[in-house]
Amino acid sequence: MHKSGSASSLGPGGLDLTQAFFKPIQQTAPPSPTKRHTKVSVVGVGNVGMAIAQTILTQDLVDELALVDVNADKLRGEMLDLQHAAAFLPRTKIHASVDYAITAGSDLCIVTAGARQIAGESRLNLLQRNVSLFSRIVPPLAKYSPDSILLIVSNPVDILTYAAWKLSGFPSNRVIGSGTNLDSSRFRFLIADHLDVNAQDVQAYIVGEHGDSSVALWSSISVGGVPVLSFLEKQQIAYEKETLENIHKAVIDGAYEVISLKGYTSWAIGYSVASLARSILRNQRRIHPVSVLAKGFYGIEGGDVFLSLPAQLGRGGILGVTNVHLTDEEAQRLRDSAKTILEVQNQLGL
Amino acid sequence: MEKSSSASSLGPLGLDIAQSFFKPIQQAAPPSPTKRHTKISVIGVGNVGMAIAQTILTQGLIDELALVDVNPDKLRGEMLDLQHAAAFLPRTKILASVDYSVTAGSDLCIVTAGARQGSGESRLNLVQRNVKLFSCIIPQLAHSSPDSILIIVTNPVDVLTYVAWKLSGFPPNRVIGSGTNLDSSRFRFLIADHLDVSAQDVQAFIVGEHGDSSVALWSSISVGGVPILGFLENQQITFTKETLENIHKEVINSAYEVISLKACTSWAIGYSVASLARTILREQRRIHPVSILAKGFYGIDGDEVFLSLPVQLGRSGVLGVANVHLTDEEAQRLRDSAEIIAQVQRQLNVTNLDIS
Repeated sequence: MHKSGSASSLGPGGLDLTQAFFKPIQQTAPPSPTKRHTKVSVVGVGNVGMAIAQTILTQDLVDELALVDVNADKLRGEMLDLQHAAAFLPRTKIHASVDYAITAGSDLCIVTAGARQIAGESRLNLLQRNVSLFSRIVPPLAKYSPDSILLIVSNPVDILTYAAWKLSGFPSNRVIGSGTNLDSSRFRFLIADHLDVNAQDVQAYIVGEHGDSSVALWSSISVGGVPVLSFLEKQQIAYEKETLENIHKAVIDGAYEVISLKGYTSWAIGYSVASLARSILRNQRRIHPVSVLAKGFYGIEGGDVFLSLPAQLGRGGILGVTNVHLTDEEAQRLRDSAKTILEVQNQLGL
Repeated sequence: MEKSSSASSLGPLGLDIAQSFFKPIQQAAPPSPTKRHTKISVIGVGNVGMAIAQTILTQGLIDELALVDVNPDKLRGEMLDLQHAAAFLPRTKILASVDYSVTAGSDLCIVTAGARQGSGESRLNLVQRNVKLFSCIIPQLAHSSPDSILIIVTNPVDVLTYVAWKLSGFPPNRVIGSGTNLDSSRFRFLIADHLDVSAQDVQAFIVGEHGDSSVALWSSISVGGVPILGFLENQQITFTKETLENIHKEVINSAYEVISLKACTSWAIGYSVASLARTILREQRRIHPVSILAKGFYGIDGDEVFLSLPVQLGRSGVLGVANVHLTDEEAQRLRDSAEIIAQVQRQLNVTNLDIS
């Protein structure tokens, strides 16, 4: 008998309807072990964590959702707010606690918790605070769900995904950063909006660091199978490299613009991470640009670094990295991006 | 060519790929008038409005979504945040403006905008402020979408749905308040959680005022078709009236509890209103407890009050009120609830609302 713990007037102390409400049939056996009981845990119930949790719930991806945070009141409030929608959702077990025991047996653990930058604080200092936070979050997650997949959203996501990998002891296929999945969606939106096509027909990757040194793979952008750059050449439409870089910049700026206008971003990252969750939990074997252990790809050496590459995702996590062709320049930018990340990472002493 | 206007680097001034990207076939004609282009406008992009908008979007209910508010920055930010999810959603046109012309041609207009109660402010004063706000919002909505259905969410929802009805000049089947749809969901959740059943198998209505004088219809609560009160009698499980009232009180308090814990409620009302939107737009003809013109039902005479009753909803809005049997006591409580609402309504400056 589940108790959400929010009703004392229904139950042994108040009105107890449960006795004899349902009668079992004869010769019943306990339930067979069910192969599908999908559980997702979300750590951090701020705007990002809750948008992710709510989208996953709406899309009917889970049987059980666990929320964890340090603020017990906020946690309980968010849990109740989701539970109260019971009449409008498939039956889903929703619970919340400051104690990580509640995450036990998760298929997927999504980490959104993170400190915000204090005015005047250096990026490195912020990073060190977040690594410290992760050392309190990741080990218990790994302990309670040793077979789970970790999906890291907190920023700076590439370094924190590396930290989560180190702290969890998980194999690299089970530690993924949300990376440039959303940047690529913004990129695809801009192109789709301009061409008046469906964004799902736009194949376009932004890879590398989820940040200023990200790399737009212009050479492999296509719309409905039509590669954009060769289309431009055939149509003899002249363009400058600067124009392409401006478009890429507009994508990067898109995030900052939303933050400056509404204080933060939530909905898009919610859909983005729910999309990753679906590909993983339902073994969709789709390709997403996400932050993975990139060492060995495209000449990236010099250390264990996580950055976004087009990766095939399924129930086993990262199934592989797509063999996308990069121009020499794109590959160089990617290696530069890796170097940027490694420089900061090495200062952390992980 | 629609432009979200968030990218100037793609287009005539920057990189214009649009030219000749697609070639039309021969002898093409303009599109036939399409019967289905579903548009919803949401007024107010606070936590409630955005939870509603986002849930409706996720459920693939619409082709076009318009957002309106007074704060253009917040508005644009929310619009962009939704647009950026384009790769993960069916193609939906998402617009936002402080100008109501962006709502033109809506099938459904959902109003969530409203002043919050100031510390020490009387409820009546809050209502007056929201009436003033509505006298700015509703006529513009009605003008831009004269055939639409209005769903009012702003509190106090019953009085404000009446106000919206008066200000819009719409027939009452097209003006609906979200009412006790969510209260009933909370009620069903509590019972379902206790019995370990799906909340969808719990039939339970809370009706009347969306507020302290709401009425729990115990006589018609059933689970999987089993009437609860009859079950208790058959099982000889005793209970006191007080126990039932405590359960009802818990439902009312749970809203306040969420607010005290997270400072607002958003997700549940988002799902609740999206559920109403689906029933209406997809002609589902489902029964929801929502706030409607209740005059003439259960002895509610005199004033034209809006309060929640179990109502069948479809594409034309309110199809009818379900003929649920109320005990004498439940009917009396309902009339008491109506009187409480009417009292507030009478104190409003009603002549301002009469636009006929």
